[in-house]
Amino acid sequence: MHELGVVIEVVKTVENFARENNIKEIQSLVLQIGELSSMIPEYVEACYPAAVDGTMLEDTKLEIEVLPGNALCKECNTTFNVLKNEGVCPNCKAKNLELLSGQEFLIKEIVAN
Amino acid sequence: MDKFRVIEIKESVFDDNNRRADLVRQELKKDKTFLLNLMSSPGSGKTTTLLRTIEALKDEMQIGIMEADIDSDVDARTISNAGVKVIQLHTGGMCHLDADMTKQGLEGLGTEGLDFVVLENVGNLVCPAEFDTGSSKNAMILSVPEGDDKPLKYPLMFSIVDVLLINKIDAMEFFDFDLELCKERVKKLNPNIKVIPISAKNGEGIEEWADWIRDEVKEWQKD
Repeated sequence: MHELGVVIEVVKTVENFARENNIKEIQSLVLQIGELSSMIPEYVEACYPAAVDGTMLEDTKLEIEVLPGNALCKECNTTFNVLKNEGVCPNCKAKNLELLSGQEFLIKEIVAN
Repeated sequence: MDKFRVIEIKESVFDDNNRRADLVRQELKKDKTFLLNLMSSPGSGKTTTLLRTIEALKDEMQIGIMEADIDSDVDARTISNAGVKVIQLHTGGMCHLDADMTKQGLEGLGTEGLDFVVLENVGNLVCPAEFDTGSSKNAMILSVPEGDDKPLKYPLMFSIVDVLLINKIDAMEFFDFDLELCKERVKKLNPNIKVIPISAKNGEGIEEWADWIRDEVKEWQKD
């Protein structure tokens, strides 16, 4: 469980953003997490209240969008979901893949005024 | 009534830390201080390796050590007995160091006149890999009892480090550790990595490791 430290980093980044853009009040925060990222959405949610305690983001709502982990097969150029296919190309059964997405951890947007 | 609206940020969580890490690196370059971020699992022999390293280099360069620990000063006391400048950083429960904590540590230590500073990161192979500390180079210690399959379990850590020390090779015969297989697994993740097998206990490989540091410090101090 290393999510807390990273979520604290998220809170710092959003607070800086709010300061620079003269935002006074934040209602909710939307994160995008790749399904192959080392961040587990359930744990991010679990530690969120602790991370925002005493900050500008206290009382905000957290929303998480999970992004799919897709890969390109280097043998036959098929695009497929890594988790659903357990890392094996469904077309030619090769394990030689190039990751296209799924490792993201992004602050997408905030709802604020 | 106040109107709420959606404001796009679209920023990778690590960008902010990365920017601060770059600033730390610029400062270090200006001060001609080479900072090595040393990472490993708990119990891999980081402190013993550091003591060996200090012994090999202390007559030719000014060394500083920053020890990060969740909450104790056992390692810092051991190191300070070796006669180099040392500072203890408490992460207060955090599992890694970020660029800001590194910066505070460097200010506390005082880098003036120091050629080589080691940041002994928290013993953990997950989070330290994700946070750039602002170091000049990254090193990792893998110890033989941990197993030659460790690179398969923690691929990110092995792919971001510049040099890997495989420690406790004196104990290789007691563990089912295949050095060549381990190297092969590491090189697959990171083709440019330098791998140095050592024994902090009997000193084997320490000279090769010290040579790596000498070259890197010299390179860093060039204009």
